Amino acid sequence: MSKPKVIIIGAGFTGVATAHDLALRGFDVVVVERGEIASGTSGRTHGVLHSGGRYAVSDQESAVECIDENMILRKIVPQVIEPNGGLFIAIDESDLAYAEEFIEGCNACHIPIQELTARQALEMEPNLNPKVLAAFTVPDGTFDPLRLALSFAASARKNGARFRTYTEMEQLIIDGQGNVTGVKVWDRTTDTHEEIYADLVVNATGAWVGEIASHAGAHVPIKPTPGVMVAFDQRLVQRVINRLNKPGDGDIVLPQRRMMVVGTTSFEVTDLDYVPVVEDQVKIMLERGEELVPGIRKTNVRGAYMATRPLIGGGSTGRSIARTFKCFDHKETDNIDGLVTITGGKATTLRAMAEKTADVVCQKMGVQAVCTTKEVPLLSYRDYYLQNN
Amino acid sequence: MSTPKWVVTFQIYRKKGNADPHFDEFKLEVSPDEYVLDGIERVWAFHDRSLAFRHACHHSTCGACGMRVNGAEKLTCITLIRDVTQDGGVLRIEPMRNFPVVSDLAVDMGILYTRMEMVEHQPVNSDAKEAIQPEARPAGPVGEEEDYIRLSDCIECGLCISACPISGSSPEYLGPAVLAGAHQHGIKGNEQLLKLVDSEDGVWRCHSAFECTAVCPSFVEPGWRIMDLRKQVIGERFKRLFRGSSPKIIDTMEASK
Amino acid sequence: MTGVSKTSPLSRAAKWFDPRARTISTIGFILNRITALGLSFYLFLHLIMLGQLAQGPQAYDGFLATVHSPIFVFGEVLVIAAGFIHGLNGIRIALNSFGVGARYQKATFLVLLSIAVICSLIFAVRIFTV
Ligand SMILES: Cc1cc2nc3c(=O)[nH]c(=O)nc-3n(C[C@H](O)[C@H](O)[C@H](O)COP(=O)(O)OP(=O)(O)OC[C@H]3O[C@@H](n4cnc5c(N)ncnc54)[C@H](O)[C@@H]3O)c2cc1C
Ligand code: SF4
Ligand code: FES
Repeated sequence: MSKPKVIIIGAGFTGVATAHDLALRGFDVVVVERGEIASGTSGRTHGVLHSGGRYAVSDQESAVECIDENMILRKIVPQVIEPNGGLFIAIDESDLAYAEEFIEGCNACHIPIQELTARQALEMEPNLNPKVLAAFTVPDGTFDPLRLALSFAASARKNGARFRTYTEMEQLIIDGQGNVTGVKVWDRTTDTHEEIYADLVVNATGAWVGEIASHAGAHVPIKPTPGVMVAFDQRLVQRVINRLNKPGDGDIVLPQRRMMVVGTTSFEVTDLDYVPVVEDQVKIMLERGEELVPGIRKTNVRGAYMATRPLIGGGSTGRSIARTFKCFDHKETDNIDGLVTITGGKATTLRAMAEKTADVVCQKMGVQAVCTTKEVPLLSYRDYYLQNN
Repeated sequence: MSTPKWVVTFQIYRKKGNADPHFDEFKLEVSPDEYVLDGIERVWAFHDRSLAFRHACHHSTCGACGMRVNGAEKLTCITLIRDVTQDGGVLRIEPMRNFPVVSDLAVDMGILYTRMEMVEHQPVNSDAKEAIQPEARPAGPVGEEEDYIRLSDCIECGLCISACPISGSSPEYLGPAVLAGAHQHGIKGNEQLLKLVDSEDGVWRCHSAFECTAVCPSFVEPGWRIMDLRKQVIGERFKRLFRGSSPKIIDTMEASK
Repeated sequence: MTGVSKTSPLSRAAKWFDPRARTISTIGFILNRITALGLSFYLFLHLIMLGQLAQGPQAYDGFLATVHSPIFVFGEVLVIAAGFIHGLNGIRIALNSFGVGARYQKATFLVLLSIAVICSLIFAVRIFTV
């Protein structure tokens, strides 16, 4: 009995988590990634392990996903997380006015929060804006992006998944009926081309899913939306600091190692392979960031960078599906068999995205296997390399 | 935009499969306030899609983007073009030394990760005070109940190993990052680790070039840590001299305290 | 494994002497390698010379004549300088290894190197003037 074979395109968070889930469920998995693991959007996130508080008012479906997955990741992959919590702080009257909705939203999404006085908040985080009016604690955290991805990849490898990095999908192989049966790839380390066949192909290319699906004539309603982030060379806060308001530009300041990262903005682009860091956006963001932590002004910029969110744009119903994720079986959407696309979501929800995708894959291939990724602790990220030697 | 553009020639090391390595040149218009890695990514995006290089976080937390820029080890995602060349200048980009080259600028970091695991280096640190060197401590006052958890300062970029003359001539030498990792983990009461560190390829292989400390982008100061480890190792040896050499005896003594 | 073990140990060690793109600390490292090689070579020569003595008074006189030639005197200065540099630098490294002043090794190096240079100059002046 040979195992059913699945090719996953893309080794961002979504791809590596899906590889881990499918490998656990007994599939023969090959991942093709044109760069290094997490060299797309995933490597470049801020690294907030979201509590969901940010979406508790406007996007409760995402908020619930975030808080559930946040708790699971703390348990299965503690070695890449700074689980120090977060604060939502109010600086002006409009923030204060938002507080009521925020409390309701968090309660509805079972996000544990605690109200603090301004004094308490400043005691916890002395570098906050002294004008802080109110604050709430949330179970946010910070993670190291590459190492989070590597932990999933290491565990997937242990269970037999193969990772082909620096290997770019050039074409989908399509049979006489218009169905996908494999991929044609270009190995950039040896400059050679080959064909890989499988029972099913999973398109997990984040912001690039539209481009990949179009090779088979399939359509994915994706709206790539980049944002800018800036890292500073000091760690003025120990917790993730959020502005108590609707998500906007420069409203998150988070600690990571000995640094601090401020994010982010939101704009639209057409060319995804290289998006420049836009100076004006950096400026706006810093001004907003300083409202949260005024000391930012006196620290040095360590790096400015950007990444592209794979947001799912208005589907056929025209309803925008905000920050949640979606798995497309192209048999159902475009009558093309052998291709499944997974995109949207957040880094924080990578495991849930993988579970959903693996469920679809199992159902399509008639495989009976339950998801165990909620309980299985991940290997050390170092194992990904250890298995080479 | 506000800053005028520069024209810079990127001379990039290329290697595919078993073919002989060579350099390719790409003339790019850049802003001096962009990072070297931005230029390299643009070469890939617009000039040569076959260019292989490692990168992920673009803000010095993942350690993937270490390369040699005009000979010196740099974390390219935080190295401003302004700081390493001038308008009309050249940037010679090579992969790190002392690691096997996978292709072009991408190296295999397996040795470093394996050894970091060997010395039990903890990627997260709950004793944050210890992890931050005095001069690098965050500006904010440090509270009493400081029980937050931090990812370790060492981002496992390998720059120190690339810069170390001894790692170059003795591949078996554990290397600066690894010894620094052992130092951070602590060798007290850890017989196995002590043995690893107090060996020919451990602290005694270092010949004090201190290039590791000079190139480390994360202020880990491997040079200082290796020296401090030596002090600790000598201390342990002395203790043993007076207590008798059997580690068993020491164990029971520690336990009975 | 390409890149790491392909080259011979000697050619790998040759990289020790390449100071390009390196810091002052490497100058210390290189000086210590060079002086160590120089001093070992000198010791070797020295033993050969001593061997000459055993060949009788004539050989000894001839030997003295060569030794007083300017080239030899200059060589002697070099040996003394190497001794100072290697010795003082060695003290720095030994102290560092006992955990003393490793954070200030650059400054220590510069101070000790200056002392070595000054001492060598004094010695050179004396040896050429007497
Ligand atoms: C600015 C910003 C900040 C964010 N901050 C956070 C945060 O703090 N917390 C959080 O939870 N989420 C955050 N996110 C969201 C999160 O980062 C993304 O949702 C997530 O990284 C998407 O992962 P992915 O695997 O779907 O996509 P990607 O990481 O982009 O992976 C797709 C991969 O496919 C590869 N690929 C593309 N084409 C091909 C091809 N032809 N052949 C082979 N491979 C190919 C790419 O190289 C890439 O590696 C942020 C997003 C942005 C933009
Ligand atoms: S010690 Fe410094 S240079 Fe060496 S791997 Fe760690 S971070 Fe990089
Ligand atoms: S890309 Fe992560 S350290 Fe440079």
